[in-house]
Amino acid sequence: MLRYALRRVPSALLVLLVASVLVFGVLRLAPGDPAVVLAGPDASAATVAHVRAALGLDSALPVQYWTWLTGLFTGDLGTSFILGAPITTLIGHGLGNTLELTTAALVLALLGGGVAGVLLGTARHKGVRALLGGAVNLALAVPPYVTGVLLVLLFAVTFRVLPASGHESLLADPVIGVQYLLLPALCLALPTGAVLARFLAAALRKSGQEDYVRTGHGKGLTERRLLTRYTLPGALPSVITVLGIQIGQLLGGAIVVEAVFAWPGIGQLLLQAVLGRDYLLVQDLLLFAVGVFVVLQTLTDLVQAGLDPRVRIGGGV
Amino acid sequence: MSERLAISRRSLLAAIGVGGALLAVPACRSAADESTKASGTAKKGGTLKIAQSADIAPATLFGQNNPNFTLARTVFNTLTQYDHKTLSPKPSLAESWTQTADGKSITLKLRKGVTFHSGRAFTSADVRFALENLTKDTTASQLKHVALAISKITEVDAHTITLDLAHPVSNLFDLFEILLIVDKESIDDLLKGTKIIGTGPFKVASYTPGTGYELKRNTSYWKKGAPLLDAVEVSVVGQSASMVSSLRSGGTHLLVDVAPLDAASIKSDDQFEVTVSDAHDSGFYIASNVNVKPLDDKRVRQAVAWAVDRDRVLSQVLGGIGTVTSLPWATSSPAYDKTKAAHYTRDLTTAKALIKAAGADGKTVKVVYNAGLATNAKIAEIVQYDLTQIGLKAQAEPLQAADFLAKLQAGTLPGLFINGHGFGQLHPATLVKGAFPFNADKNASNFDSAKYRELADQLWQATTDTAAKEAADAVNDLLLEEQFVSDLVASSHTFTITKKVQGLSWTMYDYLDLDQTSIG
Repeated sequence: MLRYALRRVPSALLVLLVASVLVFGVLRLAPGDPAVVLAGPDASAATVAHVRAALGLDSALPVQYWTWLTGLFTGDLGTSFILGAPITTLIGHGLGNTLELTTAALVLALLGGGVAGVLLGTARHKGVRALLGGAVNLALAVPPYVTGVLLVLLFAVTFRVLPASGHESLLADPVIGVQYLLLPALCLALPTGAVLARFLAAALRKSGQEDYVRTGHGKGLTERRLLTRYTLPGALPSVITVLGIQIGQLLGGAIVVEAVFAWPGIGQLLLQAVLGRDYLLVQDLLLFAVGVFVVLQTLTDLVQAGLDPRVRIGGGV
Repeated sequence: MSERLAISRRSLLAAIGVGGALLAVPACRSAADESTKASGTAKKGGTLKIAQSADIAPATLFGQNNPNFTLARTVFNTLTQYDHKTLSPKPSLAESWTQTADGKSITLKLRKGVTFHSGRAFTSADVRFALENLTKDTTASQLKHVALAISKITEVDAHTITLDLAHPVSNLFDLFEILLIVDKESIDDLLKGTKIIGTGPFKVASYTPGTGYELKRNTSYWKKGAPLLDAVEVSVVGQSASMVSSLRSGGTHLLVDVAPLDAASIKSDDQFEVTVSDAHDSGFYIASNVNVKPLDDKRVRQAVAWAVDRDRVLSQVLGGIGTVTSLPWATSSPAYDKTKAAHYTRDLTTAKALIKAAGADGKTVKVVYNAGLATNAKIAEIVQYDLTQIGLKAQAEPLQAADFLAKLQAGTLPGLFINGHGFGQLHPATLVKGAFPFNADKNASNFDSAKYRELADQLWQATTDTAAKEAADAVNDLLLEEQFVSDLVASSHTFTITKKVQGLSWTMYDYLDLDQTSIG
């Protein structure tokens, strides 16, 4: 298993290096100038030139790339051009909030998607299947920015039971914090939960056709025992692969949800940074996102290898 | 026959129970209620909650930058503050002043007993520092040209300072209105946003870049009895619709510059009020890059000015907030001329004739705008339609904010461009010397005219009201003739509030002044 894990390291590092070049290059190709954004709309050309020099943007591109890369290796992510704060602080603050949101969304998605998937995959009543299938399709089809607005209108404006936007740390005030968390987490969880439900239902149906399940039926095992001991474990590996991808999707979806609910996470930070051409911050955030995906994918592979020895023996997917 | 599900009823009920418990969380202590409770009912005290669309930018505090509207006058003070009706400067950190007859020197008597939030006493050295800081190459400000015209600064004593000028400066008090007196000992921290220290009614309690900041009452504020509020919380809410939801849900008391059409949706609700600033510091314009054909021909630019339906822009885009105009001045400006402001109205016949005379019939013209500003996008749609009516092939093209600003600053926008401007409300010299779209020395349109520069300097150095008026009239005639910028609507910034908010005020630069603000 360790050897299998170590074999993954060089390719992961190569992905990160290529990503760093792409992120840096594409960003510099995009039109716009952070010095102009920083100097303000009425600044003179001379002021903009001085701001550009102060930011180090007058150096050659290879020099800027090398400075950034060596900074990363020494743990110095730099300072945000526009916000003026150390990027480690900004990412640390935003990451905590995004993790709070995505973790809550993941829990909701697992609970909701798991229950819905099992019901959808095992229910024999056509009406129940149709109702659940319709609900799952709806959750999948409606984009989070629409769901978000509807949730706000219902729970914040009409009934006023939950806040429309903002954030309160769960550590500082759990009771209030969870109320700020509920709507954005639910909004983010819905499409992920729906995907999980559909894959789980399909995997359960497929798993239900296996010989060992039919044998179990023949031996007179109860539906619950069959589900918990045989059908569900048989369906899990393919669902876990989807789950790994969906966690990445959750992080991506957080950008929209954070914007709708003014949630101060990485998504909001990235959006502001891209719009302001805050080069260093965008570079660090995107590379960080690539790193998260690489780690998640590697972990997914490892979990799969743990669950299914064929993957490990065959050298991975 | 009854169907059996793999999940037992007990498990299902347990799952529903967990879901119900989650939804019941608000019943313990409600965040929605907390927002309202926090405001209190007493006249004095409470926390004012503000939402704005963009984060503050401490490094741009020395000029006017909209996101700083909530910070500039709450944490800092200026030397003087204009009376909104008479436009005469009133004392603030400067208690009195005397100017020489030739207009080339002014002595300011500064307020005693003022301290910074750090506890350090405010003196004339702080005024010197603020003025000299403005002249640095890295400092951006629309009033920089005024600071550069100060040839000598003399600290007569701790609370008296004399400024000698290279020439008379007619918009000197526009500088004093915008010049924030910052703590010179923590200027580097101010630029980074890590320590924001002023002499104003509130101290910065915390600032989270990109998210918002919190202010608490300055108990040592020099103005007795002020401020009334205990604290202010400012949140960055990027989406205009989310800002409105936050206000409607009771989570916010004040929205800064919500999109005009979103504001219009609130107008009918008697719980809220859309307060339109009387500074009228928000003009919308369409301008030409005069280096791009066929806009190099002023007849084409004039045709554009005749073609655009300003009334439609005002009613359909700006929700009726403002007045249509052909010139950049607010009604409060000494340069405002009612007849000249009404010069261009929609006249397609005249516009078509000008296009034909210029040989521009059927020519393609790009109409670019900042895609991040929904208002400008809607104006661009109207302009595109109007221009096709006079024989031009108009192509509306959105540019990302950073791209638009970079091209605007470099003068490389590819044709017509839609944008907004300020500085039409105070001394006209500030607009023609400091606001980039109109700057006679260098502007976004690449309009270069010795006559314009001469008139702008006359306006800037005028020593009498009569001389200033004559120069302003000549500038108006030139702007109407050349049309490198065609103003459409003189509008205003808005502050959308719950009616619990009382005593809201602002400066002539629209900086929120919360000295007497309370929550009922």
